[in-house]
Amino acid sequence: MFKVQFIPMVLATLESLFTEGIRFKELVKHIDDLAYKSLNIIVVCVSFAAAVTIVEASFHMKMILHDDSLVPGFAAMLIVRELAVVVMALLLAAKIGAGIAAEVGQMKISEQVDALRLLGINPFNFLVLPRLLACLLAGVTLSLIANSVCLLTAAAVSVYELDQSVTYFMVAFRRFVVMKDLWFSVIKGMTFCAVIPLVSCYYGFRCEPGAAGVGRATTKSVVSSSIAIIVIDFILTYIFSHFY
Amino acid sequence: MIEFKNLNKSFGDRQILKDLNIDIPQGKIVFVLGMSGTGKSVLLKNIVGLLKPDSGEIWVDGFPVHEMSEKQMSQVRKICGMVFQQPALFDFIDVYENVAYGLRRHERLREEQIQERVVESLALVGLKGIEKKWPHELSYGMKKRVSLARTVALKPKILLFDEPTTGLDPISTSRVNELILDLSRKLGTTSIVVSHDMKSALSVADHIIVLDKGRMLSQGSPTDMRNSSEHLIQEFLQEV
Repeated sequence: MFKVQFIPMVLATLESLFTEGIRFKELVKHIDDLAYKSLNIIVVCVSFAAAVTIVEASFHMKMILHDDSLVPGFAAMLIVRELAVVVMALLLAAKIGAGIAAEVGQMKISEQVDALRLLGINPFNFLVLPRLLACLLAGVTLSLIANSVCLLTAAAVSVYELDQSVTYFMVAFRRFVVMKDLWFSVIKGMTFCAVIPLVSCYYGFRCEPGAAGVGRATTKSVVSSSIAIIVIDFILTYIFSHFY
Repeated sequence: MIEFKNLNKSFGDRQILKDLNIDIPQGKIVFVLGMSGTGKSVLLKNIVGLLKPDSGEIWVDGFPVHEMSEKQMSQVRKICGMVFQQPALFDFIDVYENVAYGLRRHERLREEQIQERVVESLALVGLKGIEKKWPHELSYGMKKRVSLARTVALKPKILLFDEPTTGLDPISTSRVNELILDLSRKLGTTSIVVSHDMKSALSVADHIIVLDKGRMLSQGSPTDMRNSSEHLIQEFLQEV
């Protein structure tokens, strides 16, 4: 029985990076599975989230201020600081977090994890580290992509729905959004994406036997990752607010 | 060669192994029999450090397993092979790679030598020509035999079998029993077999240990077991 605790698991995984190195074959496989194959779902969902943001913001601003000229600027700031990266992370938590927990859980209950240990393979280095590194890479690339897609959608909706020009959107964007916002967004993306494989592997390693056990592990993994993302988002936002 | 001294192991409130003292001599085939939940598998996992005892000592080939760290355990795991209760095949690689996995990890062999060892090990368990198949394409019995081939390929000094014949057809069961005998006789391997199967034990074992509720109920040769008056052993014998 291979029971793990969260903090020792994280420390053992990081230690194995320096003592045992990276399994590049596994890393490439997970970059494909976790990052590349999540791209389409993220592009679709963040686009709609951005569109809803613009439409809702315009509706409320028109209702209260009778003017929606500030919508592109506010929306762009909201997208870069929060929306793109949080929606992306929550989608990843549901999509890959459940998959990781189920896969590791199944390996644990079918004694594959014990078989790895018996063959002298560190399960943390083999199962957790490649997923963690793949997700960190996904955090950087997917946050940049999610931000870009969101902003493009926001610009498109501004043009077609709010009757504003692309130039106006760009000017508003430049006025409201600074380079720091983009860096903070990438840092948030990486942090959120580091949480997902760690939490999911943890619940996978603690998976109880049977289909119900795997089900519980995946549910706990998605719920805990999502809560962690929201809480970490608040903490990071609070910290970053001191840099403006 | 393998020695348990006052071994105790609990999971929560439930004590699984109680003050167990066992000596397993080198080169012998020892069957550990008992009802489900008496701690047979727990005993095996303690030998290779997959579980740690609460108290007591475990000595394997001179190594004090009870006080060794996970890293130090690699020395013991190199000489021990274990066939798990479930096939435990890695489902992300094919049969060839499953059998070759430990060889690549533990031994410095050329690819041709690895291939030779894989083919030889699969032939030993009666599964020639399935190298390119994937675990999900195999029946449960075939998976168990591949798992056996993966363990045998490393030619360990000590072989641990956790219910190796459960779920196998009678022909495969007798083939696995023959293999355990063969490895022990030809290579001098020490084998510990956890099982419910008294028939296999009587035909293969040099020594039989019967566990009941975490304690050793009885031990002796197959002849001793046949003559035992213990109720549990009589029940096992009735099934033969």
